[in-house]
Amino acid sequence: MSQSPHHKSFTARLRAHKIFGGIKPAVYKADALRSRVMPAPLPGNLVLPLLQHQGQPAMAVVEVGQAVLKYQVLAMGNGPLSVPVHAPTSGVITAIADSAVPGFGAQVQRCIHLQADGLDTAAELQPCLDYRALSHLQLLALIDAAGICGLGGAGFPTAEKLRVSIEQGVELLIINAAECEPYISADESLIRERADRVVSGAEILQSVCLAKRCVIAIEKDKADAIEALSTALQDSSIELLVLNSKFPTGGERQIIQAVTGFEVPRGLLPVDAGILVQNAGTAYAVHNAIVEGKPCISRITTLTGSPLQTPKNFEALIGTPVSFLFEMCGIDKSQHTGTIMGGSLMGIELDSDEVPLIKTTNCLLAKSTGEFPDPAPEQACIRCGYCADVCPARLLPQQLYAFSRSEDLDQLEEHGLADCIECGACAYVCPSHIPLVQYYRASKQAIAERDRQFQTSKQWQSRFQFHQYRLKKETTKALDKKLPGAEKTTANEPAQPFSRDQARDEIAAAVRRVAARHSNRTAPSSAKDKAKDKDRH
Amino acid sequence: MGRIVTSSPMQHGSLDTNRIMLLVVAACLPGVLIGTWFFGYGILINISLAVIAALVLEACLVKIRGREPRLYLADNSALVTAVLFGIAIPPGSQWSLLLMGIAFAIVIGKHAFGGLGQNAFNPAMCGYLFLLLTFPLEMTSWHIPNDAIVAGSSFSPIAWQGFLQALLLTFPFLTSDPSGIQATVDGLAMATPLIEFKMAGPNALRAAQENGLSLFARSSQTGWELVNFGYLLGGLFLLFKRIINWHIPVSILATIVVLSILFYAPGSTSIYGTTYLHLFGSATMIGAFFIATDPVSAATTNKGRLVYGIIIGASIYAIRVWGSYLDSIAIAVLFGNFCAPLLDHFCRPRLYGENRPLPTTENLPRAAAENNEPGS
Repeated sequence: MSQSPHHKSFTARLRAHKIFGGIKPAVYKADALRSRVMPAPLPGNLVLPLLQHQGQPAMAVVEVGQAVLKYQVLAMGNGPLSVPVHAPTSGVITAIADSAVPGFGAQVQRCIHLQADGLDTAAELQPCLDYRALSHLQLLALIDAAGICGLGGAGFPTAEKLRVSIEQGVELLIINAAECEPYISADESLIRERADRVVSGAEILQSVCLAKRCVIAIEKDKADAIEALSTALQDSSIELLVLNSKFPTGGERQIIQAVTGFEVPRGLLPVDAGILVQNAGTAYAVHNAIVEGKPCISRITTLTGSPLQTPKNFEALIGTPVSFLFEMCGIDKSQHTGTIMGGSLMGIELDSDEVPLIKTTNCLLAKSTGEFPDPAPEQACIRCGYCADVCPARLLPQQLYAFSRSEDLDQLEEHGLADCIECGACAYVCPSHIPLVQYYRASKQAIAERDRQFQTSKQWQSRFQFHQYRLKKETTKALDKKLPGAEKTTANEPAQPFSRDQARDEIAAAVRRVAARHSNRTAPSSAKDKAKDKDRH
Repeated sequence: MGRIVTSSPMQHGSLDTNRIMLLVVAACLPGVLIGTWFFGYGILINISLAVIAALVLEACLVKIRGREPRLYLADNSALVTAVLFGIAIPPGSQWSLLLMGIAFAIVIGKHAFGGLGQNAFNPAMCGYLFLLLTFPLEMTSWHIPNDAIVAGSSFSPIAWQGFLQALLLTFPFLTSDPSGIQATVDGLAMATPLIEFKMAGPNALRAAQENGLSLFARSSQTGWELVNFGYLLGGLFLLFKRIINWHIPVSILATIVVLSILFYAPGSTSIYGTTYLHLFGSATMIGAFFIATDPVSAATTNKGRLVYGIIIGASIYAIRVWGSYLDSIAIAVLFGNFCAPLLDHFCRPRLYGENRPLPTTENLPRAAAENNEPGS
């Protein structure tokens, strides 16, 4: 079999490349990394949102009052962009209702409420000791059934991403273990302690997507994890690539650039270029799903921040309340001023701690005024261009800001606002403390709203035009049949105000038409020709 | 829940506008101190007066525009404008001249456009050019204390008498006998070495050196180059601290170097000076590192900044050599300011993935590549 052109070019390029821009923020991972990954205790009540991923919410298949076992399916995937939800423990379904979920501001979604019975009775699992015995499509189906979505934070359904990769064919699988956010250490602690299982998951992923090469990419400041990986990778064909520590190397397009030196062409997806990126946590979940038969019911998440007495990485059940986890870390409530889900640079601030941990929660960061003071007042943009120097998409944030302020949506599009990955590097370096990402989000929404309105108006316009066309056609039809002398009633003429004379004329014309119809029955084609001639004049 | 939810990123770098502006002022210090050493206290008096006037004006204007003066004064941008203006104005200029200039800089150059960040032109250079156009004679005469140009004179320009003399030059109403000061002053007026060169040819410098004025003697004629080294030092500090990018100063200096080498005619009595004279004989260094790098009015993309620097460098050289104005930095920078919006439009960086082919060795379209593959 001849090598594909993709393969050749990647062979030449795999080494640590530079990404565009980027920042080197102060890193605060050490606190949480001091202890090993701990299993979080079983909470009394779990809340499982039906939508924890990108796409369509899952469909609940249990009823209120039903007793369920651990690993039992609670909700089925609803279409390709949907992943199932499983019971993290045994218990009773107490409600299927709208309740608060993590997101921007106060967000409410349909959730399954599960009261744990404390027994943790598990349904029987079907582990697969040798995944090589299964075809890649069988493995894909298992991953689909295990309810895995991108655990790095994006939450795209993993099975769907793999399916597209199989369809289009990929050359290179990148396991993203960069974890460049300054507070998050979930993947680092996972790899440090369970590198073999991450590697196994990566091997499974590679055999599912049929990639010729697989690289695990990790930033060089994670010495322990790198050591664990190189031990685990001794008998594997998977390669290890140590990248420079820079935020946001872990972004999908950024890690592709860092590993291959190649930029995904604008407007295309990585898969179009034959590259698939999966997070290290996702690989671990895939290993669990295939080798142990366990669906995605727990994840490793970093709990950190100065109000916590014992910051650590918890292996927590999906659906565990955030406040419960904070209690487990000994939170000092007097210090606690807020909670960030995700990292300090790209995370979102939670409206409340009474929300569940979901599949994409890689970090819960308790804020305090000491560590996260109120943002400094916004000053004027001095166009210093520091933002442009750090933008990994090579945008001009200072220009985008000016256009955002003046609501110049066309210029925003022209300057590539859609390419902004909202990593926040620009706002991090902005000496005038301008919340740039906030401006861009608002502008993106404004553009979406304008496009939506444009679509609606275009739809109405086409409907109206069709209506006009139909009217005209009907009139022409009528005209075709009418007398050659009746010229006043063409559809193109504007409607005249009512007048008695006109009415009289119209009545007379109608009488003539009826008379003409009678006489025309003998020779309709010649009358039609005459009417057309009339129109032309 | 009533939490105030902030938008990401929640972490912030350490550099802010207030500190940037202070660092720029700090970077001016070597040049200012060397300038004082050679030309007397006039520069310091200029700067102090300009700073006081600028801050008062800034506070008033911000108040008039309905904003919080404390927050706006804290950005220190008026301070930088005033310091650069004070350096640009000839020492010994009268207070009324200074006030008019700084008022024009702050009121018209800055706030008429909408304040910091909106000004299309460098405010300090607006004020300077306003004075240059309205008071050309005063603006081209550098008054310096008597002993600064006489080799081996008994007292230094930074001695107390020098301070008094400089103060009286700025505030002539302080003395009962202003004519005495004025009489001395007329004999002391001089221009930068480059201007001297332009006016009198290379003989002037050679004569000065033959008169026993060495590089470190307190002479205004040789002092200029050390002043420029001072600003070069400050500029390198700004580069090192990553306050400014290298693009503007390097392209300005490189353009001047290239042009002065191209047009240099050794031995001729023409006005084309050596490269060294062009770099260190006038205000080139402060222009390249401090004035042209004002980010608000400069081009904002790195590619644009290179072109911007070339435009300014070429203008500086052209105005010096073929133009009729003596000081070229301000005009050149303002000319660059005019071009900046156009440069911002045309010199945009290539976005990530923009005009990038798919990663194939022959850059074949994917479908074609797969068809060539018998195995799959």
